[in-house]
Amino acid sequence: MRLDRELTCAQLVELVTDYLEDALSPEDVERVEEHLVFCDGCTNYLEQMRATVAASGRLRTEDVPPELQERLLTAFRDWSRA
Amino acid sequence: MIAYKFLDAGRIAPFTRFQWPENEWVSADRLAPCKAGVHACRVRDLPIWIDDELWEVELGGDVVEYPRKVVASRGRLTRRIDAWTPALADEFAAMLVSHTRRRFGSIPVLSGFVVDIARFRATNRVPIAGFAAARAAELSGGPRAYEHERLRQAAWLAERLAIPA
Amino acid sequence: MQPEDRRVVEALRAGDEAAFMKLMREYGPMMLRVALMYVSTRAVAEEVVQDAWIGVFNGIGRFEARSSLKTWIFRILTNTAKTRAQREGRSIPFSSITSPDGEDGGAVDPERFLGSGERFPGHWGTPPRRWGPDERLLSAEAQGVVDAAIAKLPPAQQAVITMRDVEDLDPEDVCNALDITETNQRVLLHRARSKVRQALEEYMR
Repeated sequence: MRLDRELTCAQLVELVTDYLEDALSPEDVERVEEHLVFCDGCTNYLEQMRATVAASGRLRTEDVPPELQERLLTAFRDWSRA
Repeated sequence: MIAYKFLDAGRIAPFTRFQWPENEWVSADRLAPCKAGVHACRVRDLPIWIDDELWEVELGGDVVEYPRKVVASRGRLTRRIDAWTPALADEFAAMLVSHTRRRFGSIPVLSGFVVDIARFRATNRVPIAGFAAARAAELSGGPRAYEHERLRQAAWLAERLAIPA
Repeated sequence: MQPEDRRVVEALRAGDEAAFMKLMREYGPMMLRVALMYVSTRAVAEEVVQDAWIGVFNGIGRFEARSSLKTWIFRILTNTAKTRAQREGRSIPFSSITSPDGEDGGAVDPERFLGSGERFPGHWGTPPRRWGPDERLLSAEAQGVVDAAIAKLPPAQQAVITMRDVEDLDPEDVCNALDITETNQRVLLHRARSKVRQALEEYMR
């Protein structure tokens, strides 16, 4: 037996992306936040998810290879001279 | 309209991490643009949002009611409710232990909640102590009993905090 | 127009090579990584990037900043990539994008939650730890873990998380680039992030 509005942790972890994307209705945002107040586990999970996004953001994409850089610079010169 | 607001230590909003100024009007557009506005508790919502600091807040503009809070277009922290201290939070948790023990201490499945709540109190986890007491009530008497227990908790807090219920 | 964008656009129009090189080093890596999602070989991806830059040059005179320069360049790149992919006979870059990618598992192993006989059913049995500002998250090792986790994702999830979280592109731009709805995008992002989080959690134990 469970209140309709109560979220379990198992449900909350499925809502985390929508919560971070501001895609939840105000009522569901309230249900999530109400749960976070008393649930250290879910609070930590949300923090871990934020840390994960931040870690992805720090990944360095490898530079454009030098030969391609040269070709692009040539193309730019050709264009700006025209 | 007068309402209440729980904040993390240092007047920090727990979800937006916005730091509230004292006695200065804050309007919704100053906060993250995607948020709905200034969130606040009515007395009956107090047990739901327990946090380090409790403030009285004056709300202005449009006020929308939600199941467990109100949202206004602007708000101003007017005074800190000094009566809300870690000691009072612990008394609240102690009350929950003894109340739950009185009601459910001798009932097989529900008596387990008494142990849970005592453990939550011992580790300073006051909000979940409140939730657990309400859950125990709910398992015994359904969703209405959950609400009733939460209102009882709110009334206890209002009385100890000397705020009009 | 953002002041920085305006400065760059004017410099390009004036033929400023240093400005171009800087812009190319800033967005080139992203363009190449994204092009590789659409076409089959690295050589073709490099051609796509080159063609896209030519598209940028040809359009820069008309660029009106209805969007940011980054978004505009990204759109030219993805349009170029899509056209090229079609020519190669790959009409949908990710066939799995709108059909279920074979996943019905949740974000977290269900074993970690309490069962229905418990006093708190569905609550954490083994709750996640607080990481806080842990230095290990900034380490090269952690980066390797994240990189590897992303590389193992099915193509559609990999595309979304790379565009959104690695390359910091806007949701709308990602939806247009992949021809998916906002809802599809969120589902894919959710699955991808869940797996990467799990990999990081194992590393952080």
